[in-house]
Amino acid sequence: MDRRDFIYRAGLTGASLPFLNATAASETAAKAKSVIYIFLSGGLSQYDSFNVEVDKPILGKSNIIKSNADGVRVSHYYPNLAKQMDKLLVLNSMKTNQGAHPSGIYKMLTGYNPRATITHPELGAWVNKSLTTPEDSLPNFVSIGGGRSGTAGFFPGQWAALPVKDPSEGIDFVKRHQAVGEKTFQKRLNILNTLNSDFQKNFGAKDTQSYVDTYAGSLKFMNSKDIDAFELQNENANITKLYDKGEFGRSCLLAGRLVERGVRFVKVNLGGWDYHDDIYGRMPGNAKKLDSGLSALLTHLTQKGLLDSTLVVVSTEFGRKPEVNPNAGRDHHPDGFTCLMAGAGVKAGQIYGATTKDGKHAEENPLDVTDFNATIAWRLGIDPALEENSASGRPFELANKGEARTELFL
Amino acid sequence: MKSESLKVPLGELAMRFWMIGSVVVFCSLAQTARGADEPAGNPGKKVAKKTVDVSAFAREIDQLVADELKQLGQAPRPEIDDYTFCRRIHLDAIGRIPTIGELEAFIDDKHPDKRARLIEELLHSKGYNSHWYNYWADLLRVKDVGDKLHHSGNFSEWIKESVRSNKPYNQIVHELVNASGKLYQPGNGATGFYARESMPLDHLANSVKTFMGMSIECAQCHDHPFDVWTQQDFYKLAAFTSRTHLRVEPLPNVEKAIYAKDRNILKQRDFDEWIVYRESIRVKHAAIYGNGTGFMRLPHDYQYDDGEPHEVMAADVPFGDMPEINYEMSKEKLDKLSKNQFGPEINARGSMADWMTSPENPMFTKATVNRLWYMVMGTELVGQLGELTLDEMGDHPALTEKLIAIMQASDYDTKLFLSAIFNSRTYQSQALALTATPPEYVLDGPAVRRLPAEVIVDSFLSLKTETPDKYVATEFRWDGFTNFYDKSRDMTANDFVDYSVKGPGRKQFQDREEREAMKRNGNMGPHELWRVSTFGRNYDDHWIAMLMGKSNRELIDDASLEPTIPQILFMMNGLGFPEDALIARKLSEAKTKKQKMELLWKAALGRLPKESEAPLFAHAPHDVMWALINSNEFRFAR
Repeated sequence: MDRRDFIYRAGLTGASLPFLNATAASETAAKAKSVIYIFLSGGLSQYDSFNVEVDKPILGKSNIIKSNADGVRVSHYYPNLAKQMDKLLVLNSMKTNQGAHPSGIYKMLTGYNPRATITHPELGAWVNKSLTTPEDSLPNFVSIGGGRSGTAGFFPGQWAALPVKDPSEGIDFVKRHQAVGEKTFQKRLNILNTLNSDFQKNFGAKDTQSYVDTYAGSLKFMNSKDIDAFELQNENANITKLYDKGEFGRSCLLAGRLVERGVRFVKVNLGGWDYHDDIYGRMPGNAKKLDSGLSALLTHLTQKGLLDSTLVVVSTEFGRKPEVNPNAGRDHHPDGFTCLMAGAGVKAGQIYGATTKDGKHAEENPLDVTDFNATIAWRLGIDPALEENSASGRPFELANKGEARTELFL
Repeated sequence: MKSESLKVPLGELAMRFWMIGSVVVFCSLAQTARGADEPAGNPGKKVAKKTVDVSAFAREIDQLVADELKQLGQAPRPEIDDYTFCRRIHLDAIGRIPTIGELEAFIDDKHPDKRARLIEELLHSKGYNSHWYNYWADLLRVKDVGDKLHHSGNFSEWIKESVRSNKPYNQIVHELVNASGKLYQPGNGATGFYARESMPLDHLANSVKTFMGMSIECAQCHDHPFDVWTQQDFYKLAAFTSRTHLRVEPLPNVEKAIYAKDRNILKQRDFDEWIVYRESIRVKHAAIYGNGTGFMRLPHDYQYDDGEPHEVMAADVPFGDMPEINYEMSKEKLDKLSKNQFGPEINARGSMADWMTSPENPMFTKATVNRLWYMVMGTELVGQLGELTLDEMGDHPALTEKLIAIMQASDYDTKLFLSAIFNSRTYQSQALALTATPPEYVLDGPAVRRLPAEVIVDSFLSLKTETPDKYVATEFRWDGFTNFYDKSRDMTANDFVDYSVKGPGRKQFQDREEREAMKRNGNMGPHELWRVSTFGRNYDDHWIAMLMGKSNRELIDDASLEPTIPQILFMMNGLGFPEDALIARKLSEAKTKKQKMELLWKAALGRLPKESEAPLFAHAPHDVMWALINSNEFRFAR
């Protein structure tokens, strides 16, 4: 059995074959092969970033600067992205029904309200389960950085994200221990095979076989040449130099290398946006990371010819209030926040939707997070109404009744 | 195991006395003598005594299994040898493999009843407390939850105390279902079970699933598609708990009289101070209010013909006997009031707890024995843990009935119940892999199954040290907010301001109280020697256990027994033992190659190497050790 086989066979053996979606809607829509999903947990301040089309006082200390796209202006905290706004579509009318971090993050990443009786799969897990085929060479859901690592929810655990805590370290323990030579390692594996074969004879069942298979799969994974994706130092210098040396930059570089090898859904976490106080003292550092990392990623994907087939998404659980509070911070604001999309034929260099001028509500073309998720799935060629049952037989739809906003694409 | 009965009082048993052969103890009848209005936590003054003969229970189990096998024309499984027994009983009773010393001592023990003695010893050990703390903490999903249960320490302490004192299972459940009052008050941690859930209807669905093994969450929004539950049944049951809620802030009158002014001043002045002020006041005041009005209203979108939206429903149970409720207002009167009225509080919740934990409840005891059987046998006695149905009795209904009877006769004493199973020949039979091939599995013994995550990780500890149960959860406290609650008893509004202004700061508030609370623990030893249970309150405190599939405590029964790539990569390339580990020391003491190899097999797999395995002796001990710990035999119970 090769590793690809293992990726969906490991765990509940034979639980399901990869589901290749083939509805009429998806046939016409599959323009994105991969998604890079940058998640800004904490709540990005839309009025200090990409929604400056409101009354001036709302912008606080943010100054408006022009971008390289006509009619698209941004906050001065994003000077590099200002030069790349022709690649980005700004979504200024996002809406969610959650106002606290854990539930807001849950809603954004799964499309469902958190419930105490079930865990829903993250969008990445739906993508992983729907699009994984025997030909794939790497797991199709990878989560880079801290934060939620990408739960499979009620799906079998094999559809959860492969976590990469530190992009510079790659996958934990993927290399032989330095004290163990290749010969010794092989010797150990031989002993293990002897022990396991014997155990399998007397006590073997599906779950013991599943372990034997997963060892085989993990070994192939260790030895696969695609593991090279995680070796950032192997990237060409003209790509590496686009990025700063920070963790987020390296996460973006890794994400680019993974989609180059066909990984379907890469989540990159960049947290720390919850500025209830001193937003203008504390936010610029984080904004710089996003500005630098995302603009490098867009250049990277363009240079490699990957931007046409990769949908880059920037999302956050909610926005921040139009008022700056007495502590010089901004509080949570679920009605009218901002997300970004790039690549895969999105209508770049434009703004979609708008808040009221007082910044209080999403007014023009409100975009619910369920519709946002549906749009991403649709662009990957997956029917947003795709239905799967939980262990107890309850049916759930991928996008929780959200509808794809096809007009966001050319 | 066939010698005479000896009668000893329960107290002595708890002091780790054991008797020869039949394990006979007295236990209290307090639960059955309890009146409906007495809380389960306070056993009545009258304590009757009756004898419980554990070995008789064990024989009754074995007889039923033997009858079943005879009827099926299937041979009984072979009895396991002492090595296999020693490993198995350690895994099931205390949640780790035996150390080499424990194994050798048992093998060398010449007492004819040494198995019964070991069972009793382990059931009254700290290792048992650690293992069963994990059981309850997972089942009740103990973890900090945002503003709701900001600090689960008090909840956790309540569980530890319940495990330490071997509180009867039905009493534990009664106290949880009927909990109310201050969240962080010492001893009142059962309230954490309500605080755990943000939505009352979800909480009810989870309580039913946890304690009665039934899945009714569908009926929250519509009639259950495959079961008998209707939405109206759900709402009638919810009527018992109606108006129960968590409030973290002070009551409005208290807020206005004491805190409001300073709160506003701080909010305008300094964010950190304001947050600490808010949090510290919450610790003092957070509480579960409401004990059930006995009335509920149908939802605004109720779609069936048998009721109208907002119609008042009086509490009723879907099965079993309706418990008594002392209503102070009639349904007719409430019908005339506005739709946000639910009637006065009358502790209908206590009535529901009575109904739920009653021996007459057809689901409670059945679900309990189903869970416990699953824990130690690896298969479901009755059916899927949270998906039982009313009539379901499993593949061997007589056995299910017997185990229910044993649980009731033991007054829900978990240790007695487990002791009955452990002492049975059925438990001490060779484990069977669950495959399609014969012999058919007919609940005639344990199944081969993967060890729970905590058990795997704690088993590493048995290889590291002679004393793996030295640092277990139940010996330590992590209740920082309870520590502050104690301090806050005498604090005035000004003291709260002082604490916030001069105090620890936003990030450090919880940490500081936690540190102070932990000082009471004395020396907690090095983390490397802690059982998994000891790693704090939250699920993610032990990343290796998480890799192995430990429950993240979001949902009931959410632990995973599946392999994943990161888990296997860790096992192959990440797991190591320090040079002074028990196994390393023992290895260096062993003289011959054969001794070294026997040592490794005994330590890792709890048995001697087979003849067929002798060729493996040619390899270096470290390589063999690696393979043994990576083998399926290590991570599966057999």
